[in-house]
Amino acid sequence: MAQADRYTELINTPIGRIVQKQIGLPAPVPLKRWTPGDRVVDGRVLIGGAPGGRLATTLAKVAASIGAEASTPLREDLRAAAAAAGLDAGPWTPAAAATQRYAALVFDATGITEPGQLSELREFFSPTIRRVAKSGRLVVLGTTPTATRSASERIAQRSLEGFTRAAGKELKAGATAQLVYVEPGAEDQLDSTLRFLLSSRSAYVDGQVIRVGSGSDVPEIDWERPLAGKVALVTGASRGIGAAIAATLARDGAHVVGLDIPALEGDLKAVTGSLGGSALALDITAAEAPREIAAYLKKEHGGVDVVVHNAGITRDKTLGRMDEARWDSVIEVNLAAVQRVTDALIAGRSRAVLNQGGRIVCVASIAGIAGNFGQTNYATSKAGVIGLVDAYADTLAARGATINAVAPGFIETQMTAKIPFATREAGRRMNSLSQGGLPVDVAEAIAYFASPASTGVNGNTVRVCGQSLLGA
Amino acid sequence: MAAATAKTRALRSSPGTAGLYAKAALPLIPGASLLPFVAGGGSKIPRTVLTLDGVKATRDELAAYDRVCGFTLRDTLPSTFIHVKAFPLHMALMTDGSFPFGAVGLVHLRNRITQLRPVEAGERFDLRVSTMPLQPHPKGRTFTIVSEARVGDELVWQDASTMLRRGTGDKSAPKPPEAIGASQLPFVAQWKLGEELGRRYGAVSGDRNPIHLHALTAKAFGFPRAIAHGMWTKARCLAALESTLPDAYAVDVTFKRPVLLPSKVTFAAEDGRFAVRNPKDDTKIHLEGTVTAA
Amino acid sequence: MTAGPRSVAVIGGNRIPFARSNSNYSKASNQDMFTAALDGLVSRFGLEGERLGEVVGGAVLKHSRDFNLIRECVLGSRLAADTPAYDLQQACGTGLQAINLVAAKIALGQIDAGIAGGVDTTSDAPIAVGEELRNILLDANRGKSTQDKLKPFLRLRPQHFAPAPPRNEEPRTGLSMGAHQARTGAEWGITREAQDELTYQSHQRLAAAYERGFQDDLVSPYLGLSRDQNLRPDTSLEKLAKLRPVFGGKDGTMTAGNSTPLSDGASTVLLASEEWARERDLPVLARFVDAETAAVDYVNGREGLLMAPAYAVPRLLARHGLRLQEFDFYEIHEAFASQVLSTLKAWEDPAFCTQRLGLDAPLGSIDRSKLNVNGGSLAAGHPFAATGGRIVANLAKTLHENGGGRGLISVCAAGGIGVVAILEA
Repeated sequence: MAQADRYTELINTPIGRIVQKQIGLPAPVPLKRWTPGDRVVDGRVLIGGAPGGRLATTLAKVAASIGAEASTPLREDLRAAAAAAGLDAGPWTPAAAATQRYAALVFDATGITEPGQLSELREFFSPTIRRVAKSGRLVVLGTTPTATRSASERIAQRSLEGFTRAAGKELKAGATAQLVYVEPGAEDQLDSTLRFLLSSRSAYVDGQVIRVGSGSDVPEIDWERPLAGKVALVTGASRGIGAAIAATLARDGAHVVGLDIPALEGDLKAVTGSLGGSALALDITAAEAPREIAAYLKKEHGGVDVVVHNAGITRDKTLGRMDEARWDSVIEVNLAAVQRVTDALIAGRSRAVLNQGGRIVCVASIAGIAGNFGQTNYATSKAGVIGLVDAYADTLAARGATINAVAPGFIETQMTAKIPFATREAGRRMNSLSQGGLPVDVAEAIAYFASPASTGVNGNTVRVCGQSLLGA
Repeated sequence: MAAATAKTRALRSSPGTAGLYAKAALPLIPGASLLPFVAGGGSKIPRTVLTLDGVKATRDELAAYDRVCGFTLRDTLPSTFIHVKAFPLHMALMTDGSFPFGAVGLVHLRNRITQLRPVEAGERFDLRVSTMPLQPHPKGRTFTIVSEARVGDELVWQDASTMLRRGTGDKSAPKPPEAIGASQLPFVAQWKLGEELGRRYGAVSGDRNPIHLHALTAKAFGFPRAIAHGMWTKARCLAALESTLPDAYAVDVTFKRPVLLPSKVTFAAEDGRFAVRNPKDDTKIHLEGTVTAA
Repeated sequence: MTAGPRSVAVIGGNRIPFARSNSNYSKASNQDMFTAALDGLVSRFGLEGERLGEVVGGAVLKHSRDFNLIRECVLGSRLAADTPAYDLQQACGTGLQAINLVAAKIALGQIDAGIAGGVDTTSDAPIAVGEELRNILLDANRGKSTQDKLKPFLRLRPQHFAPAPPRNEEPRTGLSMGAHQARTGAEWGITREAQDELTYQSHQRLAAAYERGFQDDLVSPYLGLSRDQNLRPDTSLEKLAKLRPVFGGKDGTMTAGNSTPLSDGASTVLLASEEWARERDLPVLARFVDAETAAVDYVNGREGLLMAPAYAVPRLLARHGLRLQEFDFYEIHEAFASQVLSTLKAWEDPAFCTQRLGLDAPLGSIDRSKLNVNGGSLAAGHPFAATGGRIVANLAKTLHENGGGRGLISVCAAGGIGVVAILEA
């Protein structure tokens, strides 16, 4: 399971804490991670909003459906929304903040239509941000800037990004901050996003912006097993992050088809076998691979619901020393093959292998956003993955499907374990949570995109990086 | 009549009893009574009248008294509490140089209190204390100190305490009041009296006679242990009857034998008669008395 | 058996003026005070020597020796000694609950008349020895031989002699009642100004009630007091505004003015069947209609400690098909001004009323001119168990004076309890 790194363990011993305080070292706390049966939020959820917002009822409904212990400010619209949504919301005024702790602060900023109203953010968060509990959550919801109705509104809504990112850096003890842009009309698409962001499933997701648009109707699902009856293809599933993705999707109820190169078939079978899934050993860069994969899925499962393009390689060299083989293999595995497989799975429209409402999730990388020394090939491929998500989003939306990407930051794997100590420590600590993430953190973000309830979540690239300083 | 010749002395404040007890004990020293300021010099009770005006109980002393004696703290004074306020005047009388006996060693025989109406806790009253002439008694001679409390001109309370000076008796002396059948009265309660009771009552009443305070000081006066104050025993009986008392009543008790401390005693009562007895022997009566509507 | 419950008459009440802690009643015990209030009631209604169905009451702070406090008071009173009695304790709800129980027995025909009330002293409070010393003493007591009895005392240390006075805090949260209410008040956004306003009004109205003689047949002087000692007819909003907060930290809104002080006092109420009252030619001020008791889970912080009355009232309203607005008078115990205002605000709140109370719509607001019209606990003081009796007698007389009407009583109590009742005349 979740294993903290040595430093985090040491810092969280009594002596370690003394040393940490004396010399001002970063103080990572072990992040709370989700296990089946956990409540979505453990503790008080404070739901506020700027007057004129359009999400009060939705937020109250979600809070009620997760059984949250909620409070709302004593404003008539918020109280009426809670009543209408069946949310047992305790009363709240800023004066109450001094004696309370919050597992989550949720703020509907959609009512902010001009910069002057941004002060609503200060009024709500100033008395509360220091009262956020360990591994707590701060979530601001705004209107997608491109979907606003005036310049002032667009400016004000765009401002929210700076606010949440900065607030995320002030949060302590494993707490995170996110911004969700909700398109007008997409109010009923928020359930899966809020459940993900509020819960410990998003432990290592911090300082992110997620856009939620109007998708098809959100189906009723069992939140404990959202992928029940679904088939999920996970490439590169034999180890590391891929194995964690397979395990997490299986936990959520999916039948996992693990894919990896024939050389790793033994490891792959060990993973899929333990998950009750199936193994498909082939090299995705092979010319026949896309067709074989499509045929396999069609034949064995009648199609596929979730495709996770996780397989990836690194072949690092500085650009001046970069040979053709290194360049090509990385682009081929990480990007070109991904596009070919995707094309094969969505070809044929209504008879496509990707089922109606399918989910494609790519694994990009923070390197694709920030760039990384010695990784021009890798960064190029991963930025391309982000481009792929952008390029395919509309196509997939048209068939009720979605495509999104996760961009992992420093994740503790065998791969990162080989990085020299100093570089590794720098990578680990240079983020708001002062620690590396775990493969499961990436897997949880993927599971969120994969959820049948995430119909309105399309074309996003969400970093799983603990709000890394890189590329921020 | 006799009052005409009485010498009235008005006190400005209640005399402190501690000094008076030192004075009261002096006659016990052989030859001391020859000194002019020491009691024991005379052979007649002087016709002195002492008055003290404007007496008022403080809430604290009333509460402390009620607690020790078992009264409910009310807005009215227990009739025995006024006796406590008059007691320093008794002492002043008995320690006067012209008084024939020392106060220490006198035996309290009988006390009769008549409450004409309840005195409010906040009410000021005037005290007047005088003595009656010596009377013969089978075991010596007795005298009675009469105290009265008035609110303005209204007499509200009277108290007669009869003291015995042991000595040559007079067989022809009038018999003590008729026995009330104390042994036959039905049991009401058993009281456990602590060794510290004399000191506690001494503190709230100001009567710090050494015979009440400690076994050692009591022994000096010939008692095996300290003995309970007679007026405490009376007050305790009155507290037990508290809820049945009319506004105006007379309560009359005779002190038969001392109550040694610590000890257990029985309280017995019926129809306005009451007694404090030895729990092992109903015929051994410490105190007996009556309450009658006045 | 009679058919159906009987109507229960409130004949009248008597209490002693409420004193501030460690003042006039500092030397008076619970027994002294309740006996005084009881004897005053007995003489007011000529009950000397009468055997009543029962006398019920209690005290929140009680010495262990007072296990039979009310019965002892009866024995020390002018009631017939064969009047039974029992003690009960439900924190500040004690007085109203005692009245409810006597009323219920009258309604059922089990008794014809009874007295209920309560008493408390914060001056003559029980002081216990610390837990360590208590264990040493118990061990010594268990010893068989002299040596066994002496040995535990070797464990004695000077610090063991520090007394353990009763604590005014909730055992499960370690917070004082005021600290709890400070949280609730902050949540409901109760302002300092609103609290001071209610406090000022309480003093003004109680002072006026004394001035016009309203309290003459409700209160008997005791130990030098003839009016409630906490009453400040000359207080003003300016004076109240100057007080420093005592709960809720430096930014708190609760002061010694808008919170009830620790007080001493006792109250009693005479209840009877209407027939019993008629036979004795006694007045019927009002009828005790019904009561409801609620409790809330304040421990996990989901509800305020003193919010239980907000739950009890709608249940009682539902039982009688009444709306919150269908009352001529409201008597809401002013434990803290903040408590009263929080309760009123909760009843106006849609989320609270639908989700917590299970109603279709908010109960709504009340006409504040009908609230605590003859003053409340902020002015009178609040000797915990004595408050219920004060309020019931007060409201019964108010209704009687009014020539009829309906009144609602609400009393909050420690432990997350609330007792509420309806009176009619």
